[in-house]
Amino acid sequence: MNIFLIFFGKIVIFISKILNLGNGSTWPGHVALNIDKNFIKNIIEKNKDLKIILIAGTNGKTTTGKLIQTILEGSGKRVFQNTAGANLLNGVASSLTKFSSISGKINFDYAIFEIDENTLPLILKNIKPEIIILINLFRDQLDRYGEVNAISKKWKDALASLDSKPSLILNSDDPQIAYLGDAIKNEVKYFGVKGRKSQNTEHASDSTYCPKCASKLNYKTATFSHLGDWECSKCHLKKPKPDVENFDKYPLPGLYNKYNIHAAVLTARELGISNEKIKKALINFQPAFGRQEIIKYKNKKIQIFLSKNPASFNQSLNIITELKARHLLIILNDRIPDGRDVSWIWDVDFEKYLENFTEILVAGDRACDMALRLKYAGMDNFKTYESLKIAVTEALKGTPDNEILYTLPTYSAMLDLRKILTGKSIL
Amino acid sequence: MKNRQSPIVNIQYSITIGWLYPELMSTYGDQGNIIVLKKRCEWRKINAQVLKLNEGFNEKLLDSIDILFMGGAQDVQQEIVSNDFTSSKVKILKKKVENGTPGLYICGAYQFLGKYYKEADGNKIKGLDIFDLYTEHPGVGKERLIGNIAIKTSDGSVVVGFENHGGRTYLGKNLKPFGQVIKGYGNNSIDSTEGAIYKNSIGTYLHGPILPKNPLLADYLIKTALKVKYDKDLELEKLDDSLEEKARMAIAKRLQIAI
Repeated sequence: MNIFLIFFGKIVIFISKILNLGNGSTWPGHVALNIDKNFIKNIIEKNKDLKIILIAGTNGKTTTGKLIQTILEGSGKRVFQNTAGANLLNGVASSLTKFSSISGKINFDYAIFEIDENTLPLILKNIKPEIIILINLFRDQLDRYGEVNAISKKWKDALASLDSKPSLILNSDDPQIAYLGDAIKNEVKYFGVKGRKSQNTEHASDSTYCPKCASKLNYKTATFSHLGDWECSKCHLKKPKPDVENFDKYPLPGLYNKYNIHAAVLTARELGISNEKIKKALINFQPAFGRQEIIKYKNKKIQIFLSKNPASFNQSLNIITELKARHLLIILNDRIPDGRDVSWIWDVDFEKYLENFTEILVAGDRACDMALRLKYAGMDNFKTYESLKIAVTEALKGTPDNEILYTLPTYSAMLDLRKILTGKSIL
Repeated sequence: MKNRQSPIVNIQYSITIGWLYPELMSTYGDQGNIIVLKKRCEWRKINAQVLKLNEGFNEKLLDSIDILFMGGAQDVQQEIVSNDFTSSKVKILKKKVENGTPGLYICGAYQFLGKYYKEADGNKIKGLDIFDLYTEHPGVGKERLIGNIAIKTSDGSVVVGFENHGGRTYLGKNLKPFGQVIKGYGNNSIDSTEGAIYKNSIGTYLHGPILPKNPLLADYLIKTALKVKYDKDLELEKLDDSLEEKARMAIAKRLQIAI
């Protein structure tokens, strides 16, 4: 059965590549799982030498995965990853199809899978990973995931019922994530980032209450959102001491990327890779698509900052402000991968940043909602477009050749934008 | 890019917006409702202050509030709020509601103002008993009611938003719904009612948040607050709501309804 499913999947991947259909990264897996629900389990069991790294969390999965892949490949390992964003069971199954031989043999040392928040418990029933990395939990797509507390509870239950003993790499600065380490008997290592003296946490902070006793947390320092040096005022549960909170080579700017880089460095160290090798590998690091990726288009430069929830949007605004951005295109969609509910844009702290831009264009399925958000943030100099193509053309017209057009799209908007700019679809 | 000029404060009229538990009861962009109320006052040169009433707030502060607002929450956080709502706080809040202080209570707050909330596992949580209604979760595995929604209020205007709730709410005999569902689920997906209105207090499942795309509702709250506070009918200065109208039309088109 497997041979047929793999063969069939490979044909689908091949055809969608040729026809530029862009669904080769989920569909073969979808079909395979429908026919054989143990497809993933079976193929993994056949490849006992394949080491698996799972990455879950709201923001940073793709970048962290790519960092780890770059480091491992720099040490001569053979590594593959599921396609960014194809992080449900069907995406994992599809990548197994793609990277195995017809007989189901996988000639790689490592598989890195980024996993959707809701899918983590399911995948743990199919796979015995070497390492599980949990990066953070922010409010995101409440219509799909429910509330942050509900997800962390699901994760805790899933981790507690594991019969294997993977190493856990956890974010010490995120109370909900760090607390998961308390309940688990596995080896746990923590990464964090040194914060600044605590100001007020951002508006959309989710976990400023103790994950154990629900009392208010005190923050000595904070980085962003609810991440920081926290301690419970009542039960004194506090941030565990991080094993990595500094590194001397940062291939990507942005505070949020420090977390991703520290997670990758800690993982690499766990796998026995020396600091020198890590540093050397990261010199050549190229960002994943849509994550600070720069695309050249007709003499102009466009940089894409995927901005899909309040935490990532605030971070994007923060970093492009540091980069002295003047021309900005915001694209808001409400399709299934974005979440159908766009309420979250009101949790973004636009008021703090908007003064810095000379020109803002708004597009996407919910452009009007974004326009209203900007209006009530005090702006009166933005333009709204129904057509993304026209918005991109106009935005580029307004951007001088020596400047960069900064774009902040939601997930499906990012795919649309890339398709316009490169002529190719990815998912 | 220049910001709107900061408004000249009209000392003649001022209102205080009381935001109940902004740190705990704020899940679905609830902040947007506060921003809209404040801005629509400022643009009319009405002085608007936002008072954040966090855990442990002094109950005396409630006296100075002209518009009450409370948003949705995660379960754990709702429990903290429940513990913080002492009987004397409830008493003051009830009195304010009875005296006609306008209020907007969204989702979790709306449920909390009812008689009780029965959780999926059958556990009953007592509400504040301000609205004659109760809410029951139909059980684990039952679908949440999620999606864009449009309702018609008693004055014939259309209110649009997004709903996302597991609990089904049922109104008491004498409690009026906030509106009738045109498209969407509403209180319980059965009786076509959405939300509740008692005196000038509105409870609803609509977030989005609700006020940016429903400026009439925002203005109703402001106008009522001024009326209660100054005891006279004040005509609010008209604002340019063309962008709001465009956003409403976009949703109407989505839902294939006429506004």
